[in-house]
Amino acid sequence: MALNNITLGQYYPADSVVHRLDPRIKIVLLIAVIVAIFLASNLLAFVPIAAFLVIVTRLSKVPVKMMVKGLKPLRLILILTFVLNLFFLQGETPLLNLGFAVIKKEALTMAVHYSLRLILLVLFSSLLTLTTPPITLTDGLERLLSPLRVIHFPAHEMAMMMSIALRFIPTLLEEADKIMKAQTARGADFETGNLIARAKAMVPLLVPLFVSAFRRAGDLAMAMEARCYHGGEGRTRLRVLKCQKRDYIACAVTALLIVCVVLCGKAY
Amino acid sequence: MAEPIIAVDHVSFAYEEDGPLAVRDVSLQVEKGSFHAILGQNGSGKSTLAKLINGLYLPTEGTVTVCGMDTKADENTWEIRRRAGMVFQNPDNQLVATVVREDVAFGLENIGIPTEEMPARIEKALTDVGMLKHADKAPHLLSGGQKQRVAIAGVLAMEPEAIIFDESTAMLDPKGRRDVLKAVQRLNKEQGITVLWITHFMEEAVVCDQVHVMHRGQIVMNGTPREIFSDVERIKPYRLDAPPMARLAAQLRAQGMPLKEGILTVDEMAEEVKRLCK
Amino acid sequence: MQVTLEHVTHTYQPGSPFQSTAIEDVNLTIREGEFLALIGHTGSGKSTLAQHINGLLAPTSGRVLLDGQDIHQKGYDKREVRRKVGLVFQYPEHQLFEETVAKDVAFGPKNLGLPEAEIAERVQEALNKVGLKDKDIAEKSPFELSGGQMRRVAIAGVLAMRPRILVLDEPAAGLDPQSREEMLQLIYGLHQQGATVVMVSHSMDDVARFATRAVVMEHGTIAMDGTPEEIFRHAERLEQMGLDVPSVCKLGIRLREMGLPCPEDIFREEQAMEALLALWKEGKAHGAE
Repeated sequence: MALNNITLGQYYPADSVVHRLDPRIKIVLLIAVIVAIFLASNLLAFVPIAAFLVIVTRLSKVPVKMMVKGLKPLRLILILTFVLNLFFLQGETPLLNLGFAVIKKEALTMAVHYSLRLILLVLFSSLLTLTTPPITLTDGLERLLSPLRVIHFPAHEMAMMMSIALRFIPTLLEEADKIMKAQTARGADFETGNLIARAKAMVPLLVPLFVSAFRRAGDLAMAMEARCYHGGEGRTRLRVLKCQKRDYIACAVTALLIVCVVLCGKAY
Repeated sequence: MAEPIIAVDHVSFAYEEDGPLAVRDVSLQVEKGSFHAILGQNGSGKSTLAKLINGLYLPTEGTVTVCGMDTKADENTWEIRRRAGMVFQNPDNQLVATVVREDVAFGLENIGIPTEEMPARIEKALTDVGMLKHADKAPHLLSGGQKQRVAIAGVLAMEPEAIIFDESTAMLDPKGRRDVLKAVQRLNKEQGITVLWITHFMEEAVVCDQVHVMHRGQIVMNGTPREIFSDVERIKPYRLDAPPMARLAAQLRAQGMPLKEGILTVDEMAEEVKRLCK
Repeated sequence: MQVTLEHVTHTYQPGSPFQSTAIEDVNLTIREGEFLALIGHTGSGKSTLAQHINGLLAPTSGRVLLDGQDIHQKGYDKREVRRKVGLVFQYPEHQLFEETVAKDVAFGPKNLGLPEAEIAERVQEALNKVGLKDKDIAEKSPFELSGGQMRRVAIAGVLAMRPRILVLDEPAAGLDPQSREEMLQLIYGLHQQGATVVMVSHSMDDVARFATRAVVMEHGTIAMDGTPEEIFRHAERLEQMGLDVPSVCKLGIRLREMGLPCPEDIFREEQAMEALLALWKEGKAHGAE
């Protein structure tokens, strides 16, 4: 009951043009933007990308706070990237002598460059997951990958697996909560003790959880078969993805962005 | 007699080759538009029988015919499952999608219904079970009874002729059970959908046309609910219990009160007591 | 030994948009030796209430007292509560995990830090109590047993902690009629041997047969509290709440509606039998006049 309302992924529900974009287009555009980020050969080239990020974020109605939250788990990596680049990259123009090390101008530029690259990568990816429900994302991925069926890539099966996982995560979390409580009622202790003791304490939780997950999987497979599921072949879909005007506009804008980035790189 | 939509003819089934028979020499016919119940304790083979009818299991001996098609023939499998849908016991373990509407669509997608036809069918199915207002909810936020009704809608959208309910109320609370049974009764009466209702709740079997009692893999009694339950002593060895009013009537008769045979419901009992006491 | 809930309110995920209050300002004293039935709809808060009785959930506000002591105050040993109040969840067989039945039943006593000899003794005693005396069963894997047997093992696992109060959340859910009856007789037997029992139940027939007291929950508060006689006298009210009433209760209501002088407090089968026989004999006597 307590876990009934967990949100999956970090989808931020809102009614915006970014939310409404075709998930396939969004995925492709994210890849394009990532390419643009790597094409950016100097700091000036980041300006159009950053501007693009600001505009898209505004359009998406996602609060900046939510975006920044996505960076939090990466704090350490970001700091490390910056510091390591700063101290260990070679350069010619000394900027600051700290005594134990000399910071070079080129190193500072590169440190800023790499950090920016990382930050932008994360922010753009977050933007995709914040504006696309996981199930739609799965859907989009399936359609994008479906041409690969020719080389026996199981695009449909993978998408089906992902969507079933999404459906059952809340159910299994609820179950885990219940089993944990039941074992606590029998005096189990999940909270104290050293690492080994705690790992051992998980057995009474994990065994029943696995047993239950397998039982559910068996039941579900039977229920799916009874409902005529027989793989992706000959299957129609309730939700059909169709590109609309806004999708083409988004593509055009992104293409423009790439051109700008390349030009900025050359101009310097 | 109307044509049988489900015909089970001398069917036996063992889970493993040379293993013990879970179903032994069972014969049974369900006519179009009727409401049959299979009663039995846990392990009596009733769920196995259900899965045999849907073609999820194939008989070791004998034949199962659904809408005139033999379940053993491979080419019939999908058509049989479409025309004789199935709703299972655990409401959590049969919903596939993360949104109710999409779950109802699941079966339609599997049988290749064109996209344009889907919304209307889904809406109708959800309306029929009274779940339309929950169409955009996530299944895990629904109650057990609501989930079961979504599962029924999923089958219903495929426009089946019969639905097999494999203990679909066993895990529900009384209100959920009532709601599901009511929805199913309505489908049977108003749309003529044939129902095979598998249960161990006697009260539920009371509303059926025909009851088959299963015990240790065999059908041991056939008849109308009235015929089955009027003999309280006869069903005891099958680890079943008569509905409360049938039990009470039997006890009163033993005390010399001349109640008529075949009392099953509170209303029938009240009428009969009134007749005797006036 | 008694448990008292004082103004207990429990709110899930307070402060979040999903905040929901499951029980509100509940006052309840569970007295020694009672067989208390906890009745209510799914979502009426009865399971949340049950989890407060052994301290699994802590009240958002209010206090839970075990023999007068606040179990959530600093320094109070929670294990003491777990030992004295046993909680059996719905479908408890889903919590089994050990290789053998005996080991699984021993899990609780082991957590209490008891010596080996006593653990073994308790395991045997608990298995005897739930009717699984057979030595073979103790050495079997719990996953080889039938559903009804698995549930007994799970209950034995709680009984092995020798709780004074036993809280059971729908112990008969999903069982077929015969196993159901056996389960209820088992719990009734435990009560007869002196255990205080709190049983969450949907079956009013069971409540009528076994409970000495019934508490009806609605929207997170206690709507009714009394003996089964007192509760079922308000059968109409229960029906309004969407709850079942024992079928003989319904019969009584129908008969009175028809103008027959049927007494009001009928809720068990034998009472109905007596009343109907009396009605009939009286009718016959009148007819003969």
